[in-house]
Amino acid sequence: MPPQNRILDRGDDDEVCPVCKSSRYLNPDMRFLINPECYHKMCESCVDRIFSGGPANCPVAGCHKTLRKNRFRKQTFEDINVEREVDIRRRVMQILNRREEEFDSKRAWDDFLEQREEIIANLVTGTDVSKTESDLQAYASENVRSIRANQALEAQEATSFQEQQTLEQEQARLRRQAARQEYEDERREILAGREDVISRLASGKPTDAATIAREGQKILLKKSSARRSEEERIRQKQAALRNSDAKKAGAPVATTERAGDTGLIKGLKKIKTPEPEKPYDPFMGMVPNKRDYYTLRDHYPSGYLDPIRQDTRMQAGGYDVREYYSRTLLEAFAGLGCFVDEEVSKRDASTALGLSRPATEGAAMAAVTSSGLNDEKI
Amino acid sequence: MIEDDIYRTSSQFRIWSFTEDSLKQLRATTNTIASERVRAALRRAREARQSAAPSAAGTPTANQSGSEADGKGPGERIIECLTPEEEQELVRYYCEKTVELGETYKPPMPTIVRATAIQYLRRFYLTNSPMTYHPKSIMACALFLATKTDNYYMSLRQFAAGIPGDTTQEDVIAPEFLIMQSLRFTFDVRHPFRGLEGGIMELQAISQGLGQPSPLQPQQTPEDLRRGLSSIPPAPNASSSQSLNDRLARAHHTTREILKSAAQMTDAYFLYTPSQIWLSAFFLADKPLAEFYLDTKIGGPLSSLRTKLLTTLTNCSNLLSAYKPLSTDPEQMKTLRRIAKKLYHCQNPEKANIAGQKRIPAAAMSSGAATAAGTPVAGGGSGESGAESEMERLAKKRKLEGGGSSGTKADDMFGGELVTQRNKQQGPTSHPEAG
Amino acid sequence: MAVSPLVSHSPSAASSSPAKLRAANVRSSATKPENASSHQPSQNTDRELTEQLNDEVRQKYVKDKRLGEGTYAVVFLGRLRTDPSSFVAIKKIKVNAEYKDGLSMDAIREVKYLQELSHPNIIALHDVFSSKDQNLNLVLEYLPLGDLEMLIKDGNVHYGAADVKAWMGMLARGVWFCHENFILHRDIKPNNLLIASDGEVKLADFGLARSFADPYLNMTHQVITRWYRPPELLYGARQYSGVVDVWSMGMVFAELLLRVPFVAGNTDLDQISKICEAFGTPTEENWPGVSKLPNYIAPDRNHLVPTQGRDFFLRQFPNAGPVGADLLMSMCTLDPRKRKTACEVLQHIWWTSEPRPTDKHDLPRKSGGTRKMGDDLTRRGGEIDENAFKNAARKLDFSAM
Repeated sequence: MPPQNRILDRGDDDEVCPVCKSSRYLNPDMRFLINPECYHKMCESCVDRIFSGGPANCPVAGCHKTLRKNRFRKQTFEDINVEREVDIRRRVMQILNRREEEFDSKRAWDDFLEQREEIIANLVTGTDVSKTESDLQAYASENVRSIRANQALEAQEATSFQEQQTLEQEQARLRRQAARQEYEDERREILAGREDVISRLASGKPTDAATIAREGQKILLKKSSARRSEEERIRQKQAALRNSDAKKAGAPVATTERAGDTGLIKGLKKIKTPEPEKPYDPFMGMVPNKRDYYTLRDHYPSGYLDPIRQDTRMQAGGYDVREYYSRTLLEAFAGLGCFVDEEVSKRDASTALGLSRPATEGAAMAAVTSSGLNDEKI
Repeated sequence: MIEDDIYRTSSQFRIWSFTEDSLKQLRATTNTIASERVRAALRRAREARQSAAPSAAGTPTANQSGSEADGKGPGERIIECLTPEEEQELVRYYCEKTVELGETYKPPMPTIVRATAIQYLRRFYLTNSPMTYHPKSIMACALFLATKTDNYYMSLRQFAAGIPGDTTQEDVIAPEFLIMQSLRFTFDVRHPFRGLEGGIMELQAISQGLGQPSPLQPQQTPEDLRRGLSSIPPAPNASSSQSLNDRLARAHHTTREILKSAAQMTDAYFLYTPSQIWLSAFFLADKPLAEFYLDTKIGGPLSSLRTKLLTTLTNCSNLLSAYKPLSTDPEQMKTLRRIAKKLYHCQNPEKANIAGQKRIPAAAMSSGAATAAGTPVAGGGSGESGAESEMERLAKKRKLEGGGSSGTKADDMFGGELVTQRNKQQGPTSHPEAG
Repeated sequence: MAVSPLVSHSPSAASSSPAKLRAANVRSSATKPENASSHQPSQNTDRELTEQLNDEVRQKYVKDKRLGEGTYAVVFLGRLRTDPSSFVAIKKIKVNAEYKDGLSMDAIREVKYLQELSHPNIIALHDVFSSKDQNLNLVLEYLPLGDLEMLIKDGNVHYGAADVKAWMGMLARGVWFCHENFILHRDIKPNNLLIASDGEVKLADFGLARSFADPYLNMTHQVITRWYRPPELLYGARQYSGVVDVWSMGMVFAELLLRVPFVAGNTDLDQISKICEAFGTPTEENWPGVSKLPNYIAPDRNHLVPTQGRDFFLRQFPNAGPVGADLLMSMCTLDPRKRKTACEVLQHIWWTSEPRPTDKHDLPRKSGGTRKMGDDLTRRGGEIDENAFKNAARKLDFSAM
């Protein structure tokens, strides 16, 4: 419920603590605090006095909210209603922090924004509070991971925005420096070129003068255009790097979760997580040598097999009696727990029912009879 | 269990495992279809004889069976077909014959090759009837195919030469494709033999204090296992002085014998997995030993699995112990002779000559195509769907031309005393295939 | 362990490729099984039950254009009837040509083993059916990007250590899975390593495969294309193990690095002497018992090449890096007992050291692979494709399909 009492202007000297009635006039250092439970204002010393010993009821008459000291804070907005709405908004936005890229369409995203505003408005105006709150809680608990991921993303964006700013400033500085350097270099070269021309003119024949001057000009032009294209290349490269950085930061955090079963939010994309790359498994999930009925030994006593163990030729050919052990023991137990009568009647039924092609009249007939048989058994 | 998942990928589990009900149902379907076809074929054959008799050359063009077949001739006998159970008996007999056939080779064929051939036969007759294809013509080919798929390759010539009687190479190989197709092109058969070796090997290791704890019961120590094994109660009907080694060897041998006989001749492979089969046979051979071994694997946390498994193993043991070899049992042989006699009357005449269907020489193809001009079998949507019908038509053609069958020689192979020879009564019209 | 990560045999699981080509979702499997009973067709008495079942499979596919033809087989492009955008390769084996002893061993082996193997690095066999004239049709996974040989030979294709590692990883997994199922491939070479549209390398051509590990059973030593054949087979060993395939893998590894076959003998004898020159002369010291092998040839005592160490491999294959050279050396050890197994190969630290293997989607590729698949699948086991690329000009580019 919004607080009933009107709040006095903070700047007023005659501001009085509604609890202890002391006024700023008498105590200029007095600071007022509020608690977002009920937004009743009181002075810092009242808070210390009442809540230092642990949670207690709000001292304002008629307000029975239990308040904790650590939740008291300074008021940001003059209007306590605004303060409250901002709090509510922050809280809701933290939970319903879906991002546009998570939605199927622009429309779905807009619907989501509208829905969020409605929830905020409900909480602010006190309409349907309990239901709204419980919806919100349910959503929060079902989407913990996605909420956290999006929060992290926001934080990351905030920092990367700052980094971007700094980076750009730094680049601008470097560019300026480079430009200055370039100007200096150019000036130096022009001077040097001139000197060169002069010295060549001085040593050469007068008829060459025009040619020498022209050449000098050409070299200068070539150099500066080469420099410019090299700079251009670097600049483009940097721009490309920036773009790919930006892309990386902006990529939606994938999550396999969909809005929970409450379905509070509609129109979310079904996003598949690009699974974190698992280490390569050369067996692709199968477990070598795993057995349930027996443990294979490296050697079994057997008079039947002894001659092989002594037969040099068989040994040299690579015949491996362990393969025989492995095979006989596997065959000793393979299927021991397969109960044919059960499994076959079950699968007959499922084949019959799952058979999408009623190929012939007879097949359909067989399907009916065999499933009927099965029913009797169950 | 990972070992179970491995087995589940096998074609034996995917295609050739059944419940008792589904097995029964499938055999019933096969029998019904075959019976209908036998009746229809015999009807056609009779009509063909009737229509062919007056016209000397026997022009088969008139033989458009459709409309005529509907009006049943007044004198038509009701043909009595085999029942699914009778079919099964007959197939079982030829499975036993397969073992004997494998035995006649020098050296005898490996057990695994024979067992594979038997399973091929059993799988074959799930979707085919002995009324359509007589087991005696399928058996040798199934064995030959098994030598190829089980790495015991010998040439067809060598193989045919090893068959008693004068079975030709062509007789052997003729139904090969038909068998492969009926096997749905799955050649791998998972046998219980190797598993038995593994189990015995591990028990021997345990007896020498070299046992490894089962991954699900890591508390076991080699010493616990050894002591456990040496303290199991003696097998029933065995002398108490028997050493553990002898006992293992004996159980090994008995189990193996069961696997070679009962496991092959019953539906065990269709209903159970190879590891269940060898353990069930092992239970029959030496129950305390088998129980001990099973407990080292699935005691403790898996006890619910243990209960369930014991039920399954008991069922399988019962199936195996109920088996009695046919040939040594006069009562069963009598029944069998009756079935064989009955089969003589309901053998599908159009399928009797598999060799004739096997390869269609180009000339026969074209003449066949001419004959078939009126029948709307070929063409159609897929363009290939007429294949079998084409062969059938050629078979019919042969039938009309000669009515021949190369079965005469095959009869001598085995069971000559059992199966009455159709050709004898058909008279001298039959002549062997050229070549 | 040996269970494939693919729950089902369905190729759609195998190639969840973003590429345009969608592999056919056809294979019946553990999850969607084909069972004679569940497929029980009509009690249609026009045709035998077996034929009805076969028709059901055959009618799932539509044959399209021919991709290649050999004396042994013809390969067609095919599609699922229900989903024309799904491609398969249909290998039609000419049974007639093989009449004498029935279906040839190559075909039997290929069908038998592929029916049991389901792994991302092994070509998937979706179905088998028979067509008219009793021809065998294998419906195989469609692998349009050719094979490794094509990439090795094409000077315009550039690849690096990370790519080689990715390819070798896929090859090693495929071989390991075969061995886990106790199947030897026995014909590993670059043109049997086909490439799927998503870049996955698949082991193909199981025409020489067989199951192994049983004691006292002789196996033939006349397997594996000569350049990739290990010394124990050249010496005529009849009992051998999974490491015969590891030697071939080592040769493929070397070839990927050098871009030419590493030891390419003209005859079996020549092959042995080339191996001796390259890796050292086998002796009783470095390979106890070798002199007892049936076809062992005593080396010229004055001409013994010492067993080559790490330095040699690093010198020969600088682009493998020291860790890669070490792995290569352990795959090309003369004595098979000292050679790494496929599993040990995969446990080597090379895979996890730098550089990381390239993601399969980013591997270098080349167009024209469809035709190559057609050729590869029609070849018979053990043949060296000596005419490869002789007719390159005539080759059509099917990858644009």
